[in-house]
Amino acid sequence: MHVAVFWGCRILTEHYAYEMSVREVMPRLGVDLVDLKSTTCCGDPIKSVSDFAVTFLSARILAEAGKTGLTDLLVPCNRCHLTLSETKYRLDRDVETLEKVEALLGEEGLKYPDELRIWHTIDLLHDAVNLKEIAEKVKIPLDGFKLATHPGCQIIRPSEIGRADESEMPKKLDELVKALGAETVDYSEKLDCCGAALLATHQETALSLAGTKIKALLGYDVEGLVVSCPECHLMYDARQEAASTAVGGKLKLPVFYYTQLLGVALGVEHKTLGLDLNQSPVRELLQKKLGK
Amino acid sequence: MKVSLKDLMTMAKPAAELRLKALCKIWEAKPINCFQCMRCTSGCTSLKLLELKPHEIVDLVKFGFIDELLASDIIWTCATCLKCKERCPQKASPYDLIMALRNVTVEQEAKVPEFYMNTVSQILETGLMQNVQKITTRTMEPLDREKLGLPKIALAGNKFKECLMKALGGA
Ligand code: SF4
Ligand code: SF4
Repeated sequence: MHVAVFWGCRILTEHYAYEMSVREVMPRLGVDLVDLKSTTCCGDPIKSVSDFAVTFLSARILAEAGKTGLTDLLVPCNRCHLTLSETKYRLDRDVETLEKVEALLGEEGLKYPDELRIWHTIDLLHDAVNLKEIAEKVKIPLDGFKLATHPGCQIIRPSEIGRADESEMPKKLDELVKALGAETVDYSEKLDCCGAALLATHQETALSLAGTKIKALLGYDVEGLVVSCPECHLMYDARQEAASTAVGGKLKLPVFYYTQLLGVALGVEHKTLGLDLNQSPVRELLQKKLGK
Repeated sequence: MKVSLKDLMTMAKPAAELRLKALCKIWEAKPINCFQCMRCTSGCTSLKLLELKPHEIVDLVKFGFIDELLASDIIWTCATCLKCKERCPQKASPYDLIMALRNVTVEQEAKVPEFYMNTVSQILETGLMQNVQKITTRTMEPLDREKLGLPKIALAGNKFKECLMKALGGA
């Protein structure tokens, strides 16, 4: 299966471990990634500024994806995935806006695609690759790992536009983790937001939101947290120390991208999965459980 | 003549109320249907720490207190978790309403957190929301895309900037 991929600004400019691990695991599962010829922001960071500019920016990405000739697009960032899905939902229904957008796209020689399916890492792996295929390819089972998942807000809501998983009881990420041999824990704070969107303007609040969740997770004796979004990863991994301080504790919880754990289970070398880039103690957990 | 970002964003300044109505139509948000059940507020991420009460925002819009909302800090406290939009039984969508209010605030040149306007400038300049960051491993080894074996980022041409300027002006 050939799939176009739009990484988005956050992954391309900062969250390299996610990109590295996705690039490593997908071809091993029969998914060949095709990068876009030119990439720009999806518009998410300026939703507060101009609705029309956001629609233009994301339509531009959909047009670039269409230009590859492929009809499947992978969008690994939760926020980009939401923004592109919202725009597609609107432009497929609102002819007036579509006409305005197409006029602008035309100036760059781009065209809004007739057919395109937008995937996130989680539903692509769960629904297109499938759990059985993944379980069969596991070389190093993650037996004895007690993990929790954080699906994030933006790939499960709002359900009316079609999201990667169910809004109130998301289960795909848990099932994907279990396919690797690990155990997952159900917890009542699962749908709590990581707070990333408030980091630039309300830093203390954002850090408290992240810290409160990490604290709760440690209360369930969870050994690691699995995420699938660069923003959630930022809050729970790179900002973990600050988040702990915000809730008055010294919390330590390994935080992985799902694709990193998947890579470990598939037998991929840890360095190429970007595991050195995680700031939380992921290496320690892998060492303890797998002896490497 | 060089048109600045600020010129573009403020060229047309329709009445706040009209603009908000237009934006709500695009999003199919229906504040008028809100019956104040408070489901939105009971699950709101920003309720506890920032005292955001989405049902109150909807009520204020319903009763025409738009200018008051545009001038207040409260519309900038939303964590964009979308729970209120998902759970509202009346499709009033406080989330969309808050985003619409923010858009109108920008158009009216009222109080907008600097961060958002800086991001617009950054996207206009490079196409991306931030410059490529140099990072370090846990053992402080500095790394960049090239050292990590990641391909060069394919940026857009100059034409993109022109189109985005037009889009910001409402095209
Ligand atoms: S916006 Fe929706 S959820 Fe909130 S009070 Fe009104 S009807 Fe209830
Ligand atoms: S989207 Fe904003 S207003 Fe709605 S529940 Fe989340 S934080 Fe509250």
